[in-house]
Amino acid sequence: MSAPAPEPAAASSGLNAAYIFKKSLISALVALVLFSLMIGIRTEAGPTGQLVYWTRFGDLALMVAGVFGGSILIELLRRWWGPVTVTRVVPASVQTGLALARRAIAPLLLIFTVLVPVIFYDQRYILDLGILVLTYVMLGWGLNVVVGLAGLLDLGYVAFYAVGAYSYALLATNFGLSFWICLPLAGILAALWGVMLGFPVLRLRGDYLAIVTLAFGEIIRLVIINWQSLTGGPNGVSGIPRPTLFGIPLTPGDNGLAAKLGIEFSPTHRIVFLFYLILGLALLTNWVTIRLRRLPIGRAWEALREDEVACRALGINTTTTKLTAFATGAMFGGFAGAFFATRQGFISPESFTFQESALVLAIVVLGGMGSQLGVALAALTMIGGFELFRGLDQYRMLVFGFAMVLLMIWRPRGLIGHRAPTVFLKHSHAISSDLVKEGHG
Amino acid sequence: MTAQPLLTIRALRAAYGKIEALKGVDLDINRGEIVALIGANGAGKSTLMMTVFGKPRARSGQIIFDSRDITDVPTHEIARLRIAQSPEGRRIFPRMSVAENLQMGADATDSSEADRATALERVFTLFPRLKERMTQRGGTLSGGEQQMLAIGRALMSRPRLLMLDEPSLGLAPLIARQIFDAIRTLNRQDGLTVLIVEQNANHALRLAHRGYVMVNGLITLKGTGSELLQRPEIRAAYLEGGRRA
Repeated sequence: MSAPAPEPAAASSGLNAAYIFKKSLISALVALVLFSLMIGIRTEAGPTGQLVYWTRFGDLALMVAGVFGGSILIELLRRWWGPVTVTRVVPASVQTGLALARRAIAPLLLIFTVLVPVIFYDQRYILDLGILVLTYVMLGWGLNVVVGLAGLLDLGYVAFYAVGAYSYALLATNFGLSFWICLPLAGILAALWGVMLGFPVLRLRGDYLAIVTLAFGEIIRLVIINWQSLTGGPNGVSGIPRPTLFGIPLTPGDNGLAAKLGIEFSPTHRIVFLFYLILGLALLTNWVTIRLRRLPIGRAWEALREDEVACRALGINTTTTKLTAFATGAMFGGFAGAFFATRQGFISPESFTFQESALVLAIVVLGGMGSQLGVALAALTMIGGFELFRGLDQYRMLVFGFAMVLLMIWRPRGLIGHRAPTVFLKHSHAISSDLVKEGHG
Repeated sequence: MTAQPLLTIRALRAAYGKIEALKGVDLDINRGEIVALIGANGAGKSTLMMTVFGKPRARSGQIIFDSRDITDVPTHEIARLRIAQSPEGRRIFPRMSVAENLQMGADATDSSEADRATALERVFTLFPRLKERMTQRGGTLSGGEQQMLAIGRALMSRPRLLMLDEPSLGLAPLIARQIFDAIRTLNRQDGLTVLIVEQNANHALRLAHRGYVMVNGLITLKGTGSELLQRPEIRAAYLEGGRRA
């Protein structure tokens, strides 16, 4: 009668303990089943070819106990650091500091990138890696227009990269046109192909669009392989001219840049030049995208991603909206392709496989669709990370895949999952992705 | 001598594949009028509204807006003639801010900055709630606010004809009344011509000057709002007998 009622908190914690225990027990059981053969029994071929095996029950027990203890620990950590209390754990001052840091990250990153050739002048490897990362940043920003802004899932983006690369390679080797003339031509040609892809897929959405764009990427690659007389087929195109600084070649000769400036020639000059070239191209992509987002056409792209029916109800011309998105994205892909060709000096169809499309798409998705900074960070992580884990040999892909899974669990909208509005009354607010409904593609 | 109707629909037929949704519809909307189109689910009310906008295309018949035949005009051109619609289910852009949603309404027409500002001012006096929520995402608004946004977005093109598809759908009665009040205000103060498609026959007919009743792709009854409200068959079919009203 007078027995005190159990406190709700105690009751729930008791329940929690039972729940955690049960969950960990299940994990341990799964671990036991999995590891009993993998770790419990070790097999080897004996000296005469027969099967030799011995048991390692000690290791197995250790493993299962580890899983049991680990899952209790993880569960407890989740309770303490769960989403409800996360604001209380992190003090307000730290949070404002983090917000400041977040705002400063883009300019700091840019300043650092500009200084990379100065800091790492002697390290050719870092410079090459930087150029590679920037190429993917540019490709990511280009694809971001199509996938991130307009919401058109394009699995064949590499096709435009290829068109740009081959445009420059063929125009330069056959007609001797300079890089600076070919660059816009490559962009225009790629954009033209973008429109050509756009027309048949105007009525397609989501999965169907993805399949057709995937096929388009393959078609371009197969045409390049088989049209031997023009493209050289699988042998590719070699001897592609290097870019010049507005007509001044970066060569050791008398009319080279080094001679004109009166400094000693170094092959690093060309690498540094290429670095700044791709940085400029990438920043151009970024600038154009940001500008377009504030114009009606950019707004229409984003609206198209949100709701095509509503767009039509508002009288938006969905045909031109889609085609301009394809063309703009393709144009930047073409620029990047021309750069790729001039950097490598040699291109072959092998550089333009589906894996490239998938990689660029992964950069866009991981970065947070539509976020410029997110795409840049994702490119840095993916390409840089790839190199970082080179020492792990065949485990590289495993680490990579694991990291991707974790990222998608914790940040399902990508590294930077919010989108900044482009129309303001007074000032902008970034709204967390948590408040935003899932879009439909 | 008699003023020509703003919108005239004659013998309009439209179909989705083999299923005929409109089987010869005649309808007139005069300038400065609110016309209600009522009917049960699947009667073809929304299809009629969409067909005026060119999606789906009319199989036969004529749609004349302001003495211009718009039967075969592309959808985005029709929007330029300043016919606006607020589609069924509101369909605002959830990830875009309220301000961006509103701008989208003006983007399809060639509105100058001044036009946009005037239209925006009008939307804000009509729905002050939207002004408070300018920077908020469309998807975070309540149902009523989303409906206000959908109507506001349509008003941004300073339409000559506003077509609303089920503006009271899924709203609490009090909020629905606010929406209907706003439509009345627009009509009285701005002289806006409105076509309103509704299942909520009671509200819609009280608001409207004239009404049409649609059954299976055909107009079966027409008359002034109060006339239709008195008709026993309307009362039986749409106002009583378990239907929400």
